[in-house]
Order: sequence, then structure tokens, then C-alpha cells
Amino acid sequence: MYPYLILFAAMAVAALFASPKHHKVWVAAAIVTALAAAAAVVAVEALCGGEVVLAEFSTAMFGAERLAVDRLSALFLLIIAVASVATVIYSKGYAEHYLARSSSAHVALHYTSLVTLVGSMMTVVVSGGGFSFLMAWELMTIASFLLILFEAERREVRRAALNYLVMMHIGFIFLVIGFVAVYDATGSASFDALGEYFRLHAPLPVIVVFIVGFGMKAGMFPMHVWLPEAHPAAPSHVSAIMSGVMIKTGIYGILRVAAEIESVEMLSTVGIIILFAGIVTGLWGVILAAVENDMKRLLAYSSIENIGVILIGMGIAYIGRAAGNDLVAMCGMCGALLHAVNHSLFKTLLFFGAGNIYSAMHSTSLDEMGGLSRHMPVTALLMIVATVAICALPPLNGFVSELLIYLGMFNGVGEGGEVLYSVAAIIALSLIGGVVVLAFTKLYGIVFLGSPRSTHVAECTEVDNCRIAAMALPAAMILIIGLLPQYAVRPVVEVASGIIGGDYATAMEHFTPVLSTLSAIGFALLAVVALLYVLKRRAQSKRTVSSSPTWGCGFTAVNTRMQYTGESYSEGLENIATSLTQNTVDGRTIDKGEIFPSQHSYDVHHKDKIDRLFAAWWVELMHRINVGVMRLRTGKINHYIMYALALLAAVMLLTLLNLL
Amino acid sequence: MLLVALTVTGVINRTRAVLAGRKGLRFFQHVMDISVLLRKGAVYSDVTGTLFRIAPCVYLGASLLALLFVPVADLDPLLSFHGDVVLVAYLLALSRVALILAALDTGSSFEGMGASREALYGALIEPAIMLAMATLAMFCGYSSLADIFSTARSLDVNLTIVMLLLGYVFIKIMFVEAGRVPVDDPRTHLELTMVHEVMCLDFSGIDLAMIHIGGWLKNAVMAVIAADAVAVAVCFRWEFAAPAAVLLAGLSVGITESLRARNKLARNTTYILTVTAMSALVLFVGYLLMKNIEIV
Repeated sequence: MYPYLILFAAMAVAALFASPKHHKVWVAAAIVTALAAAAAVVAVEALCGGEVVLAEFSTAMFGAERLAVDRLSALFLLIIAVASVATVIYSKGYAEHYLARSSSAHVALHYTSLVTLVGSMMTVVVSGGGFSFLMAWELMTIASFLLILFEAERREVRRAALNYLVMMHIGFIFLVIGFVAVYDATGSASFDALGEYFRLHAPLPVIVVFIVGFGMKAGMFPMHVWLPEAHPAAPSHVSAIMSGVMIKTGIYGILRVAAEIESVEMLSTVGIIILFAGIVTGLWGVILAAVENDMKRLLAYSSIENIGVILIGMGIAYIGRAAGNDLVAMCGMCGALLHAVNHSLFKTLLFFGAGNIYSAMHSTSLDEMGGLSRHMPVTALLMIVATVAICALPPLNGFVSELLIYLGMFNGVGEGGEVLYSVAAIIALSLIGGVVVLAFTKLYGIVFLGSPRSTHVAECTEVDNCRIAAMALPAAMILIIGLLPQYAVRPVVEVASGIIGGDYATAMEHFTPVLSTLSAIGFALLAVVALLYVLKRRAQSKRTVSSSPTWGCGFTAVNTRMQYTGESYSEGLENIATSLTQNTVDGRTIDKGEIFPSQHSYDVHHKDKIDRLFAAWWVELMHRINVGVMRLRTGKINHYIMYALALLAAVMLLTLLNLL
Repeated sequence: MLLVALTVTGVINRTRAVLAGRKGLRFFQHVMDISVLLRKGAVYSDVTGTLFRIAPCVYLGASLLALLFVPVADLDPLLSFHGDVVLVAYLLALSRVALILAALDTGSSFEGMGASREALYGALIEPAIMLAMATLAMFCGYSSLADIFSTARSLDVNLTIVMLLLGYVFIKIMFVEAGRVPVDDPRTHLELTMVHEVMCLDFSGIDLAMIHIGGWLKNAVMAVIAADAVAVAVCFRWEFAAPAAVLLAGLSVGITESLRARNKLARNTTYILTVTAMSALVLFVGYLLMKNIEIV
């Protein structure tokens, strides 16, 4: 197994570096498609027949390791497979105009990182824990770091990438602590050993350590600050795969750890922790998304919000499980898992759309857009699908997963067991649902509708077919899950029954009537809308239909600068949510006394308040310490030898005194 | 249901007229207006695209489907499943999104203003709706409107209290959803205080008619749910609930509009959050009462 794997990796890298610059993308596409196809085959096999063991081997540090695909891994493998194929196809079109000015090695490095990222994500979700898991996890971090660095000549890109690397390693340290603690106690660092550890020791500290470690990757509050920095810096297809898929590996990790918990009290505690983490993450993410005026930062915050929704579903599931309510547990878990799948679809689609706009406009600022739907009709159409889906509106897929979570919560309320938690989650989820509508009508409305806010818009043209094809893949999946949820939900229910311990048949019995009615309603909605539209067109065909400028309420000198901007659109929310952001204002508003206002420029920036946490006293302290330590670096070899000698002496002294 | 939808506006107009000492419009004047609109052509803004033309259809279609789930007391709805309370709320949200996007499509600052406010108020009222629904679900152990109202028939004092309170909350929610005083004033759309009406500025002919009809339907959904809650407490017959819906909605809106002015805009968010808080309060009152029942 091993030698073949290394041979395959070496051949892949060699092919990527050796092939001509313009063909590298096809090599990458071939490798990724091969990986995805293999993953899909294994995943389907695992979903149908149970666990598939891929490899078992022993390591020096962590003992026996195994790579195996169970149902949970299979679900995540499928998520990775779909998104990575779409991503690599999209990158063909997106990276086209970078090819001219990048060197061949640069492009090769980019695609090698992309392939590595896909491979390492797959390894993460099939690994049984311990060494292979940490190794793949680290590889995933490094590959994504290199991917963010694609435009390394820009200063803010380097900054964001370094920021990302540091944050990820803080998370990594937590994971190492967790695994080492388990290894120390049980002699194995696999996920299976966790169960044993939880039986023998107080589980809470280790669980919290794992939640923090995985939460860092998932973008859980308050560890989400890397997301809105990294995404605007990375190329769009990289943002898509990172935001759509990579952050889900954090969710996967939490699921794996929580699946090993057996004691009921512990499960309920963990459920409450996850639920409240989810509520805070979701609300924080969505409110900041709504006030954000940069397209990609908005999408990044919305990823944080969706992680929050997934965590809410998981929390409900664990609390329900602890209370012995199977149906609540199944609803919550199915909702959470399906939402993970759904989010991977619409978020990749949204980032692809953002990429199309960026490559046409060379900007991600909302306030330069407007009326793009006339210049990019196909992108606009695909984006409206994604917008409706992410707003969780019927008849698309986002609604299905949120409905399942709501079902769990209403059931929790109805049974009277865990009313207060369910109510807290209902308030949070409905508020998230409401504000997400605000955020995404803002994104879509300001970018695609209205009249242009800058002259660049007129020069935009529709993107190439490669990118459209890449976007059509997730869009089709969104429609399938949205319109035929009763079939799409089956594998998810099966996975959920595996990790939360509910019964597949009972859950399906409960879901099938709900979801088939929902599917009927979805088709009915489309049919009704189409019918109304056709009737209207027929009636209008015989009458005078004219066009004229937008009604200006009697004001005739309307210009496009008077349109609502992104900032003004979300102003009402900003006035409520002042405590969440730190606003800096450039320029000033028009005074009340100015009867004939002169030219003003006014620019508001919103900064996440949590950012301050990472620019606070302890960062300053680290800086001081660094400066102090740097004094030791004298550049003289004799000093360095002295340091080495001092260290040896210290070690010897400590050993002699029995302190080590 | 449709009758309810048609008559509510009439009652509102009549109440307002009577309270203002006027003779008032004909009772079905609004229906006449619509039939005129339906016979007209249309004027579209140059800025708008296909989305603007489809939006009224989505608005009406979503409201229509939402209506199918709402029972009128003992009259069962056409469709129902577990969790349809969520679907109804989200269908109303879908219709809102359609209108918001259409408003943004015109590129007018007025309509942008309306869209922005509608989006915010819609976001803030959502928890109130869900909390009210959760209260219902808590008492009845179901999450479909039909089941909730058919199991809630057993008349005990606590339930009656909670149901009456819920009816009150639903009426408040209707004020917000339907864009009525004190949140919004449908009679004006040329002031800086406008929300819903201003979003329809550029619609004409059939489109405008569709939006008006959709608005009535949305109104009726909330009115009937409120009336159901009251009917459960008082008399659970559709002969009672349907007129109750009309009178409740019509009189409350009419009287409020006659007696008080619309809120200052900045106070609207406070008002909506108060409705949400009330909704939460009702839930907790209900929760405590229920716990009490179990102890006794």
C-alpha cells in the first residue's frame, strides 16, 4: 500500500511540474477527478455495506493506525469529492489571466497544493485518529496556506496567510494535547481509544480541548477571526473549497469526538456547550455578514453563521439524545449533517460567483457594483439560486436542513423535556434566518440589481463556459436536494443513525411524509409562479406595455449615485448592533448647516470587535518578548556555541537534581 | 379563507371611516380597484430586468401556498404536515425576499429605503412568529397548524388564558407583517417614513394587483391564525372563527390607525423587539402554567 501511495504522489507532483503551463490545470483536474471518483466509490460502498478498511499499519510514535471509511467518513468524502471537482474545473477559467504573469513553477506549486489539499482532506476524514490524522491535518493546513499565498506579491495576502498559519497552529497544538493525553492514558491515540479514555477519566477537559482545536478550523466563535481575513486574500476557487469544505473538517472532528461519549450527563453537558457555541457563532457571523460591505468578507462571515447553524443542530441532537428523545436527536443530527452538505454546495457556488465578479470588476467592494445582471446574466441566474438556498427559503435545499433542525426543536418543546434549550435555539435560528435574508438580499441586490455604481460595470462580460460548468454542478445538486428531499435525505439519516444511535426506520417513517409533502410544495410553488407569469404575459401581450425611467417621486435629476448603497442598506441593523463592531470613519457627513453641500467623501469600515482580542495586550507582550529574545541573536558564532553549552549544562544540572 | 382575505380590507376602511365620522368607501371598493388594475397594461422601468417581472408572481404564489396550510377553526386546511408552521413562516419570508429584490432592481433610492427597512423588520419579527408557534407546539405537542388547533380544543382555564394572549401577539405580528400603523402607514408613500408601500412604487397594472392580492392573503394568514387562537379559547367553530378573523383584524387595525399616529422610524425596531419580548413572555407564562398543571 505505502510504496504505491508514495509512487502515486510523486508521479502526480512530477506531472504537475513537468507539464506545460497551460496544461497543468488539466493534469490537476485528472488527478482530482481520479481521487474524487475513488472516494465516491468507496463512500457509496461504505454507505451501502458498512465500514470499508483501506489500510492498517503501525507507527513508531502512536502505535497501530488505520484508515477506514465508515458512514460518517463516507458523507464527508462525498462532500469533498463534489466540491473539489467543481473547484478544479472552475480554476481553469479563473486562473487563466494569472497564467501570463506567473512563472511555470508558481502555477505548478499552486496546483500541487490544491491536489494536496484535496488528498489531505480525504485522509483526514478516513483516518482513525492519532498520528495519521494529525499528519493529514497539518498537511491540510500547509496546503491551504500555500493556496492562500497565490498572489503573494500583495502585502495583505501575505499578512492574511501568516495570520491563518498562526491561528491554525494554535488549534493544532490543542489537538496534539488532546491526542497525547489520550495516548498517555490508553496507549493508543485513535478515536476508538477516546471512548475508553472517557470511561476511565474525567472527560470534560479533553473534550473542551478537542472542541477548541477543531473549532479553530471550523471558525467557531471567538476563533473565527481568520476566516474574514483569509478569504478575501485567497483566489476565489480556493475560498470556495476552504469555506465550503475545509472548515467542515472541524465539524467532522467534533462529531467524531462526541460520538465516543457514552455517559448521559456528559453528553448533555457537551450538547449545551455546542448549542451555545452555535448560537453565539451563528448570530455573530450573520450580523457581521449583514454589515459587511466587501463581497468576500460577507461570504466568509456567512460561513461562520452556517457553522453556527450546524452546531445548533448538533447541540439539539446531543441534548435530545441525553434526554432519551430519539426523534429530537435524529432531527437535530440529520439537520446538522444535511446543512453541512448544503452549505458546501451553496457556499462554493457563491464564492465562484464572487470570483466571476472579481475577475470582471477587479474589486470585491459592493459599492462599486450594481446592475451586473445585465452584463452577466448566467452568473446572476446561478447566484439567485445560491442566494435563495442560503437564505433557507423554500423550495431549495437550505430550507430542508433548517426545517429538520426546527422539527427537532419543536419536538423538544412539544415533548416538554428540554423546553428552555429548544426555545433559546428557536429564537437564535429564526433571528439568524431573518438576518441572513437581509445580508443576502444586500449582496444580490447591490451587486446584480439596480443601475451601475461605477463605470467598470459596463465593461463586464459573461465568463467562460468552464466556470459556468463548474458552477452548474453545485447548482444542480442544490435543486435536487431542494426539490426531492425525501430521497436526498436517506443517506444522511443513515449516517445520523450511526453516530447518534437513533433508529433509521423510525426516523424515515417520520421524515418521509414531511419531506414528500415539502417536495410537492416545492414543485407546486414553481408551477404556480410559472402559471401566474404566463397568464400575466398573455394578458399583457394584448395591452400597451411601455418602459420609462424609474419613478423618482417627482424628482427629475435622479442619478445613480443616489441609489442605496450596501452601507445604507444595512444601516438600520448597524444601529442596533453597534456593540459588535468597531467602526472607523474616513471623511465626514454633511452638516445640518450646509445648505449647499460641498463635495464630501464618507467611508465607513467595520471591524470585528473580537479582532481586538488578537491585537490586545498579550500580542504586545509577545512582541516585547520577541524583541528581547532577538537581542540574543548577535550573529557571532562563539555566542551561539555558548548558548548550546549553557543548554547542555542546564539539562545536566536539572537531571542531576532530579527535576527532569 | 379567501373571503376573509377579501373582506378584511373592507372592514378596516369602514372602521376608519366611521371613527373619523366619514361615510367611507364602498365596502368592496378595494376589490373594484384591483379589477381595474387587472385590466390595465403596464409601465416598466428601463433599469429593471426579468427578476422584477417575476417577483410579483413569486410574491402572490408564496402567499397563496402559505394560505393552504392554515386551518379555520374546525375546517381542516388543504395541506398539512409536521413542521408546516416553519414552512408558512418561510413562505412569507420568500414573498418578502421577492419584493425586496424587485425593489432593489429599480435602482431607486426610495425603494432601496423601503427594502432596507422591510428586510430589517422582517428579520426582527421572525423570532416573534417562531416563539408564538413554539408556544402552540408546547401545549399541543405537534408542529403542524392543523394538529395544533384540533388538539387544543380541550377547554381548561390556563389554555384559554395563553390562547387569548397568543391571539393578541399574533395581531401585533400582523401589524408588522402587513405594514400597518404604528409600524408603517399604507396610506402614504411619498414621505421618508415609508416601508412596504414604497417598494411597490414602480409596479403597475397586473403586477400591482398581484402584490395587493398577495398582501391581503398574507394578512389573512396572520388574521386567521390569531382568530384560531381566540376561537380555541372561546368557541371552536369555523362559523365563529372566520368572522372573528375579519373582525379582529379589521377592527384592531382600523381602530389603531384612527387613534394613533405612526411611530417615529427609530422607534420601530424597539416596537418590534417588544412584540418579540411579549411573544417570549407568553411562552414562559405558558411554560410555567404547564409545569403547574403537571405538579397538581
